[in-house]
Amino acid sequence: MSIISQDVSLAPAPNEVPVARRARTSINRRGFRRFAIALVLPFGLLLAWWIASNQGWLPEQILPSPAYVYSTALEMIASGEIFYHAGVSLRRVVVGFLFGALAGLKLGMAMGLSRRVDDYVRPLFLAFAQIPTLGWIPLLMLIFGIGETLKIIVIAKGALVPMTINTAAGIRGVPESFVEVGHALRFSRLQTLRLIVLPGAAPSIFTGIRYGLTHSWTALVGVELLASSEGLGYLLVWGRQMFWLDVVIVAMIAVGVIGFLMDKGLDVSEVYVQRWNDREGE
Amino acid sequence: MASRAHLRISNVSRRFRVNGGDLTALDQVSLDVRAGEFVTIVGASGCGKSTLLRLGAGLDVEHDGTIEHDGKPVTGPNLDRGIVFQEPRLFPWLTVERNVALGLENAVFSKAEKRDLVAKQIALVGLAGFEKAYPHQLSGGMAQRAGIARGLVNRPDVLFLDEPFGALDAITKARLQGELQDIWAREQITMVLVTHDVDEAVYLGDRVVVMSPRPGRIRQIVPVDLPHPRARTSSRLASIRNHVLDILNSTTSDDLPKMAAKQPTSQKRPVAKPGPVQAALHNKSAERPLFSTTEI
Repeated sequence: MSIISQDVSLAPAPNEVPVARRARTSINRRGFRRFAIALVLPFGLLLAWWIASNQGWLPEQILPSPAYVYSTALEMIASGEIFYHAGVSLRRVVVGFLFGALAGLKLGMAMGLSRRVDDYVRPLFLAFAQIPTLGWIPLLMLIFGIGETLKIIVIAKGALVPMTINTAAGIRGVPESFVEVGHALRFSRLQTLRLIVLPGAAPSIFTGIRYGLTHSWTALVGVELLASSEGLGYLLVWGRQMFWLDVVIVAMIAVGVIGFLMDKGLDVSEVYVQRWNDREGE
Repeated sequence: MASRAHLRISNVSRRFRVNGGDLTALDQVSLDVRAGEFVTIVGASGCGKSTLLRLGAGLDVEHDGTIEHDGKPVTGPNLDRGIVFQEPRLFPWLTVERNVALGLENAVFSKAEKRDLVAKQIALVGLAGFEKAYPHQLSGGMAQRAGIARGLVNRPDVLFLDEPFGALDAITKARLQGELQDIWAREQITMVLVTHDVDEAVYLGDRVVVMSPRPGRIRQIVPVDLPHPRARTSSRLASIRNHVLDILNSTTSDDLPKMAAKQPTSQKRPVAKPGPVQAALHNKSAERPLFSTTEI
């Protein structure tokens, strides 16, 4: 039994130390610097806005001062108006996005797994994707009216396209050599899908989710502009009709901030779900 | 010795269709591997050694002739035949522990038994303490240890190794060769190892199968009648190595200048998955248009 050769030991050699355990002391400082840098442009813009309205470059009805918009924002927060409209918009986006993303996941999986499905579906799908979401609204309006159904469909379509394309690409991108490992280990089709193909496609699927949510959100505002009596998009139209540009700007900021937070939230959860994916870029 | 599993390859040919023509990767190859034997297969690229290994493991079943393992024809992969690839092919989203455990996914053990086997196997290849590490945190040598552990965890009859140390630096390679020899001696598992490294073939093999290309044939089988473990410095080993080199030179010198055409099966595929950015870029170029963010 003592058949161990002398020139080797079983412990990993010094040249085999793991490469990823780097000191990460500077990462917090770097994070803070990046945060500060990210604020430079917004504050610059705010300053430009302040100067422009202070100097009266544009009539006050068109470009209200930052201070005025700020007080309007406080008012709308205090009255809960902004939360009401944001809540309506968010609910629509969540429902529409879930429908669209799930349908896109299924369609993308079918296209990624089956060459034949892909050959049949892809050309029409790409043509379909070419038509801007807004372009669908006139037709859909005639079929579904201007109620919630229309909005859900338009939002779902926004999520469907990126979700489908990225899911299909992710599945196609899983290396053949990985699938072969499953073959050698006698994985069933279901095991291969569950243990190799879906995890392998996960980063791409996540990209689809992020694009999908962004598109749903922009589609939502678009459809609310045209056909709604509540929601942030409605607030924009209504504010413009009343020539309350302060309300318009507050609504725009709300749209941007919510969209940004949703994307950021997905980013954080993506990093968490894919801890194995070393994104620090060593 | 002959009572246990036994691999019998008789009159096996394998042809590939390449650009409309037929390429004979293997031509009438016969080879018997005894139970518990360590057979190494060496040859220039294009000699069909990897093809032979894949056929033996059951990853490729399109051949003439017969391949039998333990008296039964090989018709596909089987958990009694483990395989280790040149690239470790670890799944980047799983820890070392779970990568190794995949080898037991379809084995009939209880959960606790599987856990024990995985832990034991990880210790055997010297990765204790790295169970929870992800593949990107491992060096090349450590990753290949994990690959070997995955191939061994189910305690196969035969372990096929396809140039397992080909991508490693010389020092790591020597260590892993020594450890593989220890594992083989301790676990009594038949091993078939393909390599283009003559030193490796002679150091590890009970017999060295020397193959020649176009068409892939077994040129000669050289027995290495030295007990394991072996000293690399042994003069007997050196003379056997020179003998093998002579055979190889005599088979390849007439067509040495043109490097052998790669076989379709041995093409290395990129192991890295495209990240989100590449995926998005890829989409953009391959299936324009993606959809611009200005769209609503």
